[in-house]
Amino acid sequence: MTLSAQHEDAARIRADLITAIILIALGLAVTYLSWTMDRLAVRRIHPATIPGLVPFVLGVALTLCGSLLAFRSWKLDTKAGGVALLNLLLSWQTIRVVTVAALALVYTLGLVGRMPFWLASALFVFAFIVLFETVLADRPANLVRTLIWALVVALVAGVGVNYVFGQIFLVRLP
Amino acid sequence: MFDGLILLGQGVAHFITPSGLFNVAWATLLGLTIGILPGLTATMGVALLVTLTYKMAPDQAILTLMCVYLGAIYGGSRTAILLNIPGTPANAAATLDGHPLAKQGKAGLAMGLATTSSTLGTLVGIFFLAIIAPVLSEAALKFGSYEFFWLALFGVVVSGQMTGSDTPLKGYIAGIIGLLVAMIGMETLHAHQRFTFGIPALVGGIDLIPAMVGAFGLAEILSTMKRTAIANIAPVNDRVVPTFREIFQYWKTIIRSGIIGTFVGIIPGVGEDVGAWSSYAAAKKLSKNPEEFGKGSQEGLIAAETGDNAVVSASMIPTLTLALPGSAAAAVLIAAMMIHGIRPGPMLMIENAPFLYQVVGMLLLATLANLIFGLSLTKVFIKVLSVPRERLMAVIYVLCVIGSFAITQRMFDVYVMLVFGIVGFFLREMKYPMAPLVLGIVLGDLLDLNLRRGLALTNGDPTPFFTRPISAVICLIIVFTILMSIPAVNRRVRSLFARNRGAVPAKS
Repeated sequence: MTLSAQHEDAARIRADLITAIILIALGLAVTYLSWTMDRLAVRRIHPATIPGLVPFVLGVALTLCGSLLAFRSWKLDTKAGGVALLNLLLSWQTIRVVTVAALALVYTLGLVGRMPFWLASALFVFAFIVLFETVLADRPANLVRTLIWALVVALVAGVGVNYVFGQIFLVRLP
Repeated sequence: MFDGLILLGQGVAHFITPSGLFNVAWATLLGLTIGILPGLTATMGVALLVTLTYKMAPDQAILTLMCVYLGAIYGGSRTAILLNIPGTPANAAATLDGHPLAKQGKAGLAMGLATTSSTLGTLVGIFFLAIIAPVLSEAALKFGSYEFFWLALFGVVVSGQMTGSDTPLKGYIAGIIGLLVAMIGMETLHAHQRFTFGIPALVGGIDLIPAMVGAFGLAEILSTMKRTAIANIAPVNDRVVPTFREIFQYWKTIIRSGIIGTFVGIIPGVGEDVGAWSSYAAAKKLSKNPEEFGKGSQEGLIAAETGDNAVVSASMIPTLTLALPGSAAAAVLIAAMMIHGIRPGPMLMIENAPFLYQVVGMLLLATLANLIFGLSLTKVFIKVLSVPRERLMAVIYVLCVIGSFAITQRMFDVYVMLVFGIVGFFLREMKYPMAPLVLGIVLGDLLDLNLRRGLALTNGDPTPFFTRPISAVICLIIVFTILMSIPAVNRRVRSLFARNRGAVPAKS
């Protein structure tokens, strides 16, 4: 196993431990909400068919699985796991992922619905290409070339998608 | 018997029209392109394309989606061979021998072998689909709430067990999360709202298509853009079309892999990647030259590609007869069928018998198109690989937004896609499989409704769940599956089997 793979495994084990705690919390919350869910006693519903039955079982199952995962991760966890996870969270890869997520959020929550769909899409595509081909690229491309390509792709995608879906396939766009 | 053959003939003939063939051509090409581009999966392609087929006639819409599905699973082998990166997760096993063959200067031959074995794998799956589906459909008519409850649970448990690459525990967790997502909204027995927290948009529950577009679309985009470097494309200088002899010498491997793929396809929610790996493992175990596996074995490549494509056709068996998806992409197909007014399940053979044979016809045409395009458009598909992902992924995300919005025209579904995309990415990064999650969403209502309906029928007595013959068998399989995922039990059972196997000759 390579050193980076070992670091990745250590980071994942620590991440598993954190996730397992979240899953236990989620499982307990679901169990509680299912337990306190309306039993529909007024409608004389049989206790075996109450709406909370399956969610309750699932909540318990999630808590159990989360606990087993926590135990497994705790057994495998090493001191280096925390450092490896922190390094992973501060890596170049994370920056790229956060950038995609941020662009997607800005486009979906901020642009779509506030301006024509083709324009919102074109702006998103343009920003995406420029950022990933220059600032976030391993070997940044020529800026002018990237800007021209980004503009062309953005306009073709924005207008094209709008036309194909909106006009040809008669799909309503956001 | 003859009724079936007549319906089969009619099913194939139904699509041999200019519009039908046109749809087969463009959808297969699109599917191949999706498969070839790393970062785009068959499930994502099918989920995104549901939007495009929204206004089509139901049969043509499903034909289109089927061609994309089959094309994408096959197309991913190109990337596996030329880049050493599986185009879709189903082609991961094909990288083991496909890329070494390409490095030996046999990229063309490897692609040709992958194409023909994919075709043959699909044909094996189609054969079993045509034979098993009507029988299973008839048997399923005898199933009651008890059997359907266990079947739903069986799908989630087995899918969790077989797809959890790190530990089966993660597969089970993904399945439980999927089932919990299905609990959101108004339940069907008493029309009571669960986990809606007063949000009106949640009353209708979480739609499968936006969830799938998020989990397989945005999550894929995030995974693809995380990587910084892309491998070099292997050159193709040799012939692509294999000789009859080159294929025929592996006929045993092809039939075996086809049958393994079919078996995997019938199990709900397991999917093509498991089909490919199981076929590959079996071929290696039974091969005369196991030492060549992983170094450019033609047999290994054929086994992997036959196995995953057989799963595609076979996954239609539970999908059509029980409404239990055989793979993640089949889950989207169920949603698409529902949108187009086709109700898969035991009643399909009664309500719409020709449709089953139309599906067989769709698969046959899609396979034929794959074979023709796969062998003739090699250079074109290699060009597809040179499309920069920075440009492609941006456009794909725009399609994700449209795909989520278009079905019900609610921005809420777009937000669902976003949440599933981001959560799906984190789960995937931590090795949680997506298939059980999807299956949980699809089967949640079936499980919930049938458990409570069954209990209502017996006034709260759970005995029939364990005493009815089919129920008891499925229940035992589930228990065995769960027990086998416990390492200590697994080791014990394996050693017991090994000891018994060793003891038999000694006694005789």
